[in-house]
Amino acid sequence: MSTTLDTLTPVARHLPALRWTGAGAVVVALGLAPLVLGGYYLHALIIAMIFLLPAHGLNLILGYTGMLSLAQGVFFGVGAYVSALLSLHFGTPFALNLVASGVIAAAIALPLGIPALRLRTYSFVMCTLGFVVIAQTVAKNWISVTRGDMGLSGVPQPKFQIGNAVLNISTIPDYYYLALVVAIVATLGFYALVRSPAGRCMVAIRDNEVLAESLGVPTWAYKLAVFMLSALFAGVGGSLYAHYMTVVSPLVFQMYYSTTVLVIVLGGGVGRVPGAVIGSLLFVALSEALRVTPELRMIIYGFVLLLLVFCFPDGLAPLLDRALERIARIRFGAKEGNSDVH
Amino acid sequence: MGLFILEQIVNGIVAGSVYALIAAGMTMIFGVLRAINFAHGEYYMVGTFAAWYVISKLGIDYGTAIVLSVAISAAIAALIGRLVMQRLVNAPFQSGVLATLGISLILQNAVILAFGGGYKMFPGGWLDPVEFLGIGMAQQRIVLVGAALVMFGGLEWMVRSTHMGKSIRAVSQNPECCQIIGIDVEKVVRRTFVLGTALAALSGALTGPINVSLYGGMGESITLKTFAVIVMGGMGNVRGTLFAGWMLGVAESLVAGSIGLQYRDSVGFIALLLMLMCRPTGLFSPKARF
Repeated sequence: MSTTLDTLTPVARHLPALRWTGAGAVVVALGLAPLVLGGYYLHALIIAMIFLLPAHGLNLILGYTGMLSLAQGVFFGVGAYVSALLSLHFGTPFALNLVASGVIAAAIALPLGIPALRLRTYSFVMCTLGFVVIAQTVAKNWISVTRGDMGLSGVPQPKFQIGNAVLNISTIPDYYYLALVVAIVATLGFYALVRSPAGRCMVAIRDNEVLAESLGVPTWAYKLAVFMLSALFAGVGGSLYAHYMTVVSPLVFQMYYSTTVLVIVLGGGVGRVPGAVIGSLLFVALSEALRVTPELRMIIYGFVLLLLVFCFPDGLAPLLDRALERIARIRFGAKEGNSDVH
Repeated sequence: MGLFILEQIVNGIVAGSVYALIAAGMTMIFGVLRAINFAHGEYYMVGTFAAWYVISKLGIDYGTAIVLSVAISAAIAALIGRLVMQRLVNAPFQSGVLATLGISLILQNAVILAFGGGYKMFPGGWLDPVEFLGIGMAQQRIVLVGAALVMFGGLEWMVRSTHMGKSIRAVSQNPECCQIIGIDVEKVVRRTFVLGTALAALSGALTGPINVSLYGGMGESITLKTFAVIVMGGMGNVRGTLFAGWMLGVAESLVAGSIGLQYRDSVGFIALLLMLMCRPTGLFSPKARF
């Protein structure tokens, strides 16, 4: 958010409208996708949208309060297991599972966050990593509940019922639209959160925690709340994942999930709303859809990561911003001459 | 019963020596670069694979294979160090994480592509049993402990007496000031990186005969466990990692022997979490540095 006089130039004034138009275009394009894309590509997009949720959560922690957490995998997995267990043992409907997964994941984040958030950067990363490994061990060994490595299978597909109207989600396009709706709602929620006064406090904590504290921002409470909120996002994502894959196993706690979410956020652009969206579309959808041998795909992925680090350290979202600025300048800024918006 | 516990402890020291060797490298890299090397386990894997390749495809004997595998891994690490790691000087933390993640993906999958994804058998090694304190064990295990002691002794000497060692200490303390007084930080980073990964490769080559099976993905769990060791020893603290490694090894051994083998890998992480809650600076670092 800029507070300088830059925002008064015509170019800058039109940027938000351009951004919303762009976002709308993306939503429309995604909405029309099932008409042109086959099941394989839709699956890639579904996975991307499922991953968007823990990515928003991580973006919240990392981008808005400055802490690098690898624990999203824990809450994603917890959400998946909670959803699976609730629907398998109690037959609860999908919507309830979705909410319950988020809430329980957030509840677990509380006792984990209290000791973890006291730590400084490097120790915090290690701590969150420790949580992931422990979570996987628990999932593997608490056989009475999780059935260990055999996992929980046969998670029922989502079904919505209002009165007599029943909506069954069973085909890939069905899942696609469900995931799209959830992703849009989550993104709007994220946007509302970071644009609120609470969101500004978070940015203050990220930029200078000591200063924020001295200005009266209860940094500890905020960090804990953010940690729990990010867990909520991740838990909801996990629930969606469980109902899509219909199988949940300790593999959901693999490092792969935590690192993918990290790549999405860092590669897309930390601390900005479109960052996670761009990131998950690019890194997850593309990576799933690339039809080369898995090893070659991973090697390319590795090189892409290196490229990101050295050429796009702020992620790819700023590129998008610059493109939008250029459009705005062409359309609205012809008379301004030398004004430059940054 | 006493012999059983002694056996567990001795096994623990052997395993711990391996952890310590690998962790020493990672902690040194962290010290000079403030970067957590997510790819560190892959260098261990590369060391094992290089030794395997040299023995099984080129027919070289095990002893020379160890030297060759370390040389090959060092060459690869030198390339990576020059292209990637030295650019991470003064870079934000996330860059190191992403970059080393990328490197680990590339290394792992390149090895799988080159040699196939299945399990391979490590041929060779000094496996004749020797008796120590009434316990029979393969010679290789004694070699491991010996290697760890020699390496740590060497590191200690290097850090105290050589110019390189002092540069490493200086860069660990304050890279910016080093640049001001004329220490070539990037060169120190490159050399520390090659040294650190060479230690990992060496332990890979030395544990090959004991683990017997090797596969492309074996580095990942090593990386994770090494994190636990470096936190316990104090991040950046080389001496600490030797004792932390031994402690972890012994603890794992005792747990595996008495509670159950499936919990062995969690010991490290439970210890890590306890450590971070109670004493984040590690067992052996008196000052809070990170």
